[in-house]
Amino acid sequence: MEKLKILLLVLFMGSWTWSIAQNQTIRGKISSEEGRPLDGATITLKGTKTATVANTEGIYSITVPSGQATLVFSSIGYLPIELPVTGGTADVVLKKDDRRLSEVIVVGYGQTQKRTVSGSISRIAAREIENQPVQSFESAIQGKAPGVVVENSSGKVGQGIKVRIRGTSSLSASSQPLYVVDGIPLTTTSQSDINNEPTNPLADLNPNDIESLEVLKDAAASAIYGARAANGVVLITTKKGTRNNKTVVELNSSIGISNPTTKRGFLNAKQYVELIKEAVTNDGKYDFANNVSGFGSEQEAIDFYYNYIKDNYLDPLSLGTDWQNAAVDVNYEDQQYRKNALSRQVDLSLRGGNEKTRFYASGFYNDQEAIVIVNRFKRFGGRLNLDHSITDKLSVGINMSMVRSQLDRVTNDNAFSTPGQIMAQIPISPLYDPATGDYNANTLYPNGLLDAKYNSDKQVTYRNIGNVFANLSILPTLSFRSEFGADMLNMTQETFDDKRTQDGQGIGKGQYFTSQNVSFNTNNYFTWSPITGERIKTSTLLGMSYLQNDLRQSNEQAEDYPSAAVKNLAGATNVTFGNSVNARYNFLSYFLRSNVTIDDKYILGGSVRMDGSSRFGPDNRYGVFPALSGGWILSEENFLKKSSVINFLKLRGSWGITGNAEIGEHQFLDLFQVSNYPGLPGFIPFQLGDSKLKWEKTTQVDIGMEFGLWNNRVSGEIDWYNKQTRDLLLAVNVPATNGYFDNVNFLNTIFQNLGSLENKGLEILINSRNIEGKNFKWNTSFNIGFNRNKIKNIEGQVIEGSSFQRAVEGQPIGVFFMPKFVGVDPANGDALYLDANDKPTNDYNEAKRQVVGNANPDFTGGLTNTLSYKGFDLNVFFTFVYGNDVYNNAGRFMSSGFGNGLDNQTTEILKRWRKPGDITEIPRLGIFMSSGERTSSRWIYDGSYLRLRQLSVGYNLPSAVINKFRITSARVFIAATNLLTVTDYISDPEVNTLGTKVTAVQNITAGTDFYTIPQPKTFSFGINVKF
Amino acid sequence: MNSRIYFILMAFLLATACNKKLDVPPQNSLTPDQIKSADDVKAVLAGAYSTWQNANAFGEKYNTFGELLINDGDIDWAGTFESYDDLHQNSQVTTSPEIYQVWANSYHTINAANIVLSKLGLLAADEKNQIEGEAKFFRGVTYYYLVNFFAQPYSAGSTSSNPGVPLILQPVSGYDPSRDKLPRASVEAVYTQIVSDLTDAAAKMPASNPAARATRFSALAFLSRVYLSQAKYAQAAAASNEVIQSGRFSLVSSIDKEFNNAGNSSEDIFAIQQTSQSNSGTTDFGITTFYSADPVGRGEIQITPAHLAKYEPGDERAELFYDGESISGSTGKMTSKWRDLYKSIPVIRLGEMYLTRAEANFRKGGTPVGPNSPLADVNIIRNRAGLGSLGAIANANVIVMERYRELAFEGDRFFTVKRLQLPANGHPYNFPRLILPIPQREIDLGNALPQNSGY
Repeated sequence: MEKLKILLLVLFMGSWTWSIAQNQTIRGKISSEEGRPLDGATITLKGTKTATVANTEGIYSITVPSGQATLVFSSIGYLPIELPVTGGTADVVLKKDDRRLSEVIVVGYGQTQKRTVSGSISRIAAREIENQPVQSFESAIQGKAPGVVVENSSGKVGQGIKVRIRGTSSLSASSQPLYVVDGIPLTTTSQSDINNEPTNPLADLNPNDIESLEVLKDAAASAIYGARAANGVVLITTKKGTRNNKTVVELNSSIGISNPTTKRGFLNAKQYVELIKEAVTNDGKYDFANNVSGFGSEQEAIDFYYNYIKDNYLDPLSLGTDWQNAAVDVNYEDQQYRKNALSRQVDLSLRGGNEKTRFYASGFYNDQEAIVIVNRFKRFGGRLNLDHSITDKLSVGINMSMVRSQLDRVTNDNAFSTPGQIMAQIPISPLYDPATGDYNANTLYPNGLLDAKYNSDKQVTYRNIGNVFANLSILPTLSFRSEFGADMLNMTQETFDDKRTQDGQGIGKGQYFTSQNVSFNTNNYFTWSPITGERIKTSTLLGMSYLQNDLRQSNEQAEDYPSAAVKNLAGATNVTFGNSVNARYNFLSYFLRSNVTIDDKYILGGSVRMDGSSRFGPDNRYGVFPALSGGWILSEENFLKKSSVINFLKLRGSWGITGNAEIGEHQFLDLFQVSNYPGLPGFIPFQLGDSKLKWEKTTQVDIGMEFGLWNNRVSGEIDWYNKQTRDLLLAVNVPATNGYFDNVNFLNTIFQNLGSLENKGLEILINSRNIEGKNFKWNTSFNIGFNRNKIKNIEGQVIEGSSFQRAVEGQPIGVFFMPKFVGVDPANGDALYLDANDKPTNDYNEAKRQVVGNANPDFTGGLTNTLSYKGFDLNVFFTFVYGNDVYNNAGRFMSSGFGNGLDNQTTEILKRWRKPGDITEIPRLGIFMSSGERTSSRWIYDGSYLRLRQLSVGYNLPSAVINKFRITSARVFIAATNLLTVTDYISDPEVNTLGTKVTAVQNITAGTDFYTIPQPKTFSFGINVKF
Repeated sequence: MNSRIYFILMAFLLATACNKKLDVPPQNSLTPDQIKSADDVKAVLAGAYSTWQNANAFGEKYNTFGELLINDGDIDWAGTFESYDDLHQNSQVTTSPEIYQVWANSYHTINAANIVLSKLGLLAADEKNQIEGEAKFFRGVTYYYLVNFFAQPYSAGSTSSNPGVPLILQPVSGYDPSRDKLPRASVEAVYTQIVSDLTDAAAKMPASNPAARATRFSALAFLSRVYLSQAKYAQAAAASNEVIQSGRFSLVSSIDKEFNNAGNSSEDIFAIQQTSQSNSGTTDFGITTFYSADPVGRGEIQITPAHLAKYEPGDERAELFYDGESISGSTGKMTSKWRDLYKSIPVIRLGEMYLTRAEANFRKGGTPVGPNSPLADVNIIRNRAGLGSLGAIANANVIVMERYRELAFEGDRFFTVKRLQLPANGHPYNFPRLILPIPQREIDLGNALPQNSGY
C-alpha cells in the first residue's frame, strides 16, 4: 500500500513538471572535486528568486525562462560558481572553500556541514581507529574525543567496556551510550552467562570497516534519539562505495606480540618463608601477651603456631621439598601470562562504483591472544555495502555485515580457577607434582593451571547487522527515506570443567548456554528543504521509527562426565539444570527536526521526539523530548570577515531533554517467578513494581565555541555543559520484611523515579598544524575533558554497588565508602582506623565507614602528534587520566601480611612493622592474630596515569618502486601500544572489575582491582597496500 | 500540496498501528492477578517450600549460622568468607550481606505463607484446612528461627519488653513506606504467634502428606522445640510424645543411615528434599558446600579434636567424621552428615523427639508423659548408637550431652545453649554477639528497628 502511494505520487509529480514545460529545463549534477555528490547544493537563477536544491545524488533540475540564463551554484563550504547556460545539461564541480570549515558530519537521520551545526558533536575518522590491536573500536577512541571516557575492564580480550559520555547520568539504569550503525541501534548488552563477567557485543563490528564515528554529546545533537539518548549517542558509519569508476583494492595486515604492561611483584621463596616465620612469631607473642589461649610461655605459643602452619600447610604444600631452604621457588605470577601473546589481523577490501552503482566489500580475519593464558578472541567475516540509483530520483541500497567471533574465556576474577588468581599460590609449592607428572594439584588454592589446561569455555557468536533502504526524491526539495534494519545475534557458550579441576568438583561439569538477540528496526522520514531564497536556508525532518527486540535464551547444565573424551553435554550423565527465557521490548518513536540558517551566519535548530516503550506501564508509556539550539558564525560578520587571524568563529548554545529507559523489562509490575522444589512446582514473589514508573530525564545545557585561526592552522572547540538528571530510575531499597526477595541477586528493591544527579563539565579540543612544509608536516591534536558528577538527592537511600562502594548524596557516583586507615601503631604494629569521633582505633568494629576516595577522574584526555617527512610518518599518541582513585580489593589477600590466608604477598609487604618503635604504613604480619587485613582505605591508591597509548612509525614506499607492481600505494609500519605508563598505581591503572550478575550496579562500582589482568603492551608490524 | 499532506498522514497512520505492540506481557514470570485458582494458591505454598530449601534457610544457614555462632571450640573455620569467619569469632558486623540474606529469605517465606492465607477462599472446602495449616506451619517455624537468630532468647526473660522481630501477618503488594516500615514486636508477641500458628497447623494438617510435605506431626515436633525454648516442659513432653506414639516414624537401624538419603528416612518427621536439579547450592552456598570436603564441597567447617573427644568409646556417632581437605588446602575432620550433594536434609527427626521427651519429662518431674521413663528414652538413642544402656540419669546434663552427640552439626546446639543459658565460646548465653545484628540496610531505611545491643 505504501509503495503504491509513493508510485502514484511520483507519477503525479512527474506530470506536474511536464505541464509547465514551455520554459526550458536545465538538469545536471553537482559534485565535489572528489566526485562526491553535493547533496543540498543550491542552484539559483541569478537576480531572481527562482532556485532549486540538488537531491541526495547531487542531481538537480531547474526550470528557467527560455534564452540565456546565469545560474549560481553554491554549497556550504564550497566556492560558488556562476555559469551561463542555455538549456540542456550542466554538470558542475565545486571547489572547496578553504576559508570555511567544510567537514561533513553525520547527524541523527542525515548528514550536514559541521560548520552549520549548532550541537556538540565529536567526529572520529577512520584513520584514528584503523589497524589497532583492539577487539572493538571503543578501545581505540579513548583519548580521541573530549568528554568520552572509555574504561577497559581488564587485559582480558572481548570483555565489556565501560563508556561514559559526559559522565554517568544514572544510578540504577544503564549509562552506556546508544550505538547506531548505519541507522540501526545495536545490541550492546552482554549476552554471556551471567555467572561470568560481561562481554562486549560491539566486538562483532570490524573496526576497519568504520568510516567515521560521530559522538553526539549535547541535547541538540542527541535529542533526536529521545528516550535513549541521555547517555549520549555514538553514530557509526561504515565505509561506502565511490563513484569514480575506479576500484580500489586495499590490503591491511598486521602481526603483533603482547605482554603485560606491568607485573605486581611477589615474594620469592626465601622471603616468603622468612615472613611466614615472622608472622607465627608475632601470633605467638600476641597470644601470650594478651593471654588469648593461655599458653605457659611465649615460646610455647610461638612453637604452637609455627608447628600448626608447618604441619598443616608448609610441609604438605611443598610436597616434601626442603622449603626451609627454599629448595623450590616458583614465580606463580609469571605462570598466568603467555610469553609473547600473538595477534594477527588481515583485512581485504574493495571499494568502487560508478554513477549507477557503488559498493564497498570487505573480508577480515583477526586472531588475538590475550596476555593471560587461555583467553583468546577470533573473528572473521565480511561486509557488503551497496547502493544503486534506479533513476535520478530513486536509489536503493543495502549495508550488511556477517561475522563469526569466538571468545575463549577464563572464569571471572573472583573465581579460584581464574588465571588471575594463580599469583596467590605460594612460591614453595612445586609447579609440577612428580607423583602425577602433571601440574601440582596440592597447592594452597585449587590450581588454576589445571583449570587452564583441562577446562574450556568457548563462546561463539554469529552476528548479522544490516539494513536495506530506499531514497526517493519526491520533489527537488522533498525526499523520503525508508530503512529497514536488523541486528541478529546468535551466541552459544559451551563450558566444560574437567573432573581433575576445582570447577569440575571431582565429577566434571558442563554448561550449554544460548542467546538469540534480534532487533528489527525501521526508520521512515521525510527531509524537506524548501527554497526560501539565498539568505535563508532551512531543512526539516519528519519521521517515525519502530524498534522491536526479541531475546531468547536457554541454559542447560549437566555433570558426571566419565572422562574428558566428550566435552559437550552429550558426555555428561546427569542434567542438573535447564531452562529457557524469552523477553521482548519495543520502542515506537516520532520525530521532527528543523534547522534554519540565515545569511550563513545565524543558525537555529529545534527538534522534538516522542517515544513510547513497553518498559513502562500504559499510563506512562510516552515521553516527549524536545531540544532547541542556536549558533552564530561571527567570522561571517563584517567586523571579523577581514581578520587575518580569525578565519572562523562560531558560538553555539543548546538546551534539551533526553531520556533513559535502560532498566530491563517489566520493572513496573509486581512479579512472581516459578520455583522448583522437588515434586512441588510453585510460584514465589520476587519483584515489587511501581505502576507509576516513567522515563528518567536529563536536561542538558551546552554552550560552545568553535574557532579557526590563521587559515585553520590552529582550530578547536570549547564546550561547557550542565546535565541535570531527574526522576532517576532508581532501584530503591525496600524493607526486606516486604517479602519480595530476589533470591538470585539477593535484592529487595523496587524501581522508582526518585532523586536527581548532575554532571557538569568543560571540554577543550585544539588541533594545530604546526609545520606544513613541502616535505615535513607536523600536526598536533590535544583534547581534555573535565567532568564533575554529583548525586544531588536520593532521599537518604543507601544504594550499594558493592560492600565498599555506594551512592552518597552530595558525592560523585562511585565513591569508596569504607573505614579510613590512618597508619600503624608504632608500639605494637596494629592497624589504626578512624572511629566515630575521628580518633585512631585499632578495633575494626569501632571504625567509622566514610567516603575515602573517588573513582571518577578530575580530567581525562589525549595528545596526538603526527609528523611526516617524505615517505615517513610518525604518530605519538598519549592518553591521560588524572585524579581518580583505585581500590585494590585483592589487597586483603595479596598485601595484608597473611591476615586472610597464607597467600603469597606482594613485595609491598616487606616494609611491614617489625618491632616496637617502627614507623611504617604496613601493619605487623600475623596469620591468626593479625591486624589490618579488612577492607579499608589501606589499599586505595592514586589511579592517575599518563600513557603512551600508541607510537607508530610508517613508511610509504616510493611510487617509483611500487608502480612496477601495479600498486598504488604501500605503507609499512611498526607500532607500540601502551609502551610507557607513568602512574603511582601498583599494577596497571586501567582496571575496572565489572563483577557478575547485576549489570546496573556498574554505575556505582568503578576503579576496583580484584586480581584484574593488566593491559597488554603490544608491538606490532603491519602493511597497508592499495591496488 | 493536498496529496503531499495526505501521503504524510498515510505514513503515520501505518505507523500508529505499532502502538498496541507496546503492550508486552512478561513471558518468564507472572503478575499477582494471575494467581486466581486453587492450583495457583497451592503453587505459592510450594514456593514457600523452595524458600526453605534455599541456602539462606534449612538449605544451609539455619544450620551453619547457629553452629558457627555457638561453636565452643568444636568447629574450626578454614575458609575465606568474611561473614562466616566473623560468626565463628563472634565478631559479625551489621553490614554482612549473608546476615541480610537470612533475614530477607525468612520474610520471603513469611510473605508466601501470608499470600496463601489471604487466598484461602479460592480453595475447595476439603483442602482448605490442610493448606491453611501448612502455610501456618511455614510461618510459625520461620518466625521461630528469626526470633532466635535476631533477638535475645526467650530464656533471657523480659520477653514482653525485649525486642523480637517485625510481625507481618498480611501479604504485601507494591511499596508504601508508611505501611511497610514496621517496628520490632516483642519476643513474647512473636512467640505467641509461633505457638498459635503451630498449634493451628497441628490441628489442620493431615497425619500424612505426599511428596515429603509437612504433616500434623511436623508441626507437633516443632511445637516441642518451641516449648523447650520456653521451658514449658509439660507441653514439650506432650508434643514430642504425640509424635512418637503416632507410630508413623521409626529410628533407622544405625545412625549413618539417617543422612545422605534421597528422600525421607523412616525417622524424618520433616526434611528438605533436594535433587540434582533442585538444591541449595553446590559451589558458594549450600549445606554440603561448607561441611563436605573438597572437591564435593569447600570443606571449610572442620570438626576439632575437642569435639571428637566428647564421644564415648564405641559410639557409632563418632564414626560420622572423615578426613578431608578444604578448598584452600587445610586438612581436617569433616562431619559426614552433610557429605553428599543433592540429598535430603533432615530438619527434625524422631531421635530428637525421644531426647526432647526424656529431657522434658526429667525436668518437669512427676509422672512422665508417655510410656517411657527419661532413662528408657535416652537408652533407646544410646543403644541405636551402639552404646550400652545407662543405669540411671544423674542429672539433666546427661540428656543434654546425649542430645549434643546425637544432633551434632544439625543446627540444634544453638537452641540448646540459649534455652539452658549455657556459656558458649567463653561468653555467657546472652552475650550480645551470640545473636545476629538487625541488617544495617533495614536500619538505613529509616525503620523503627532498634539495633541489638552490642552492635
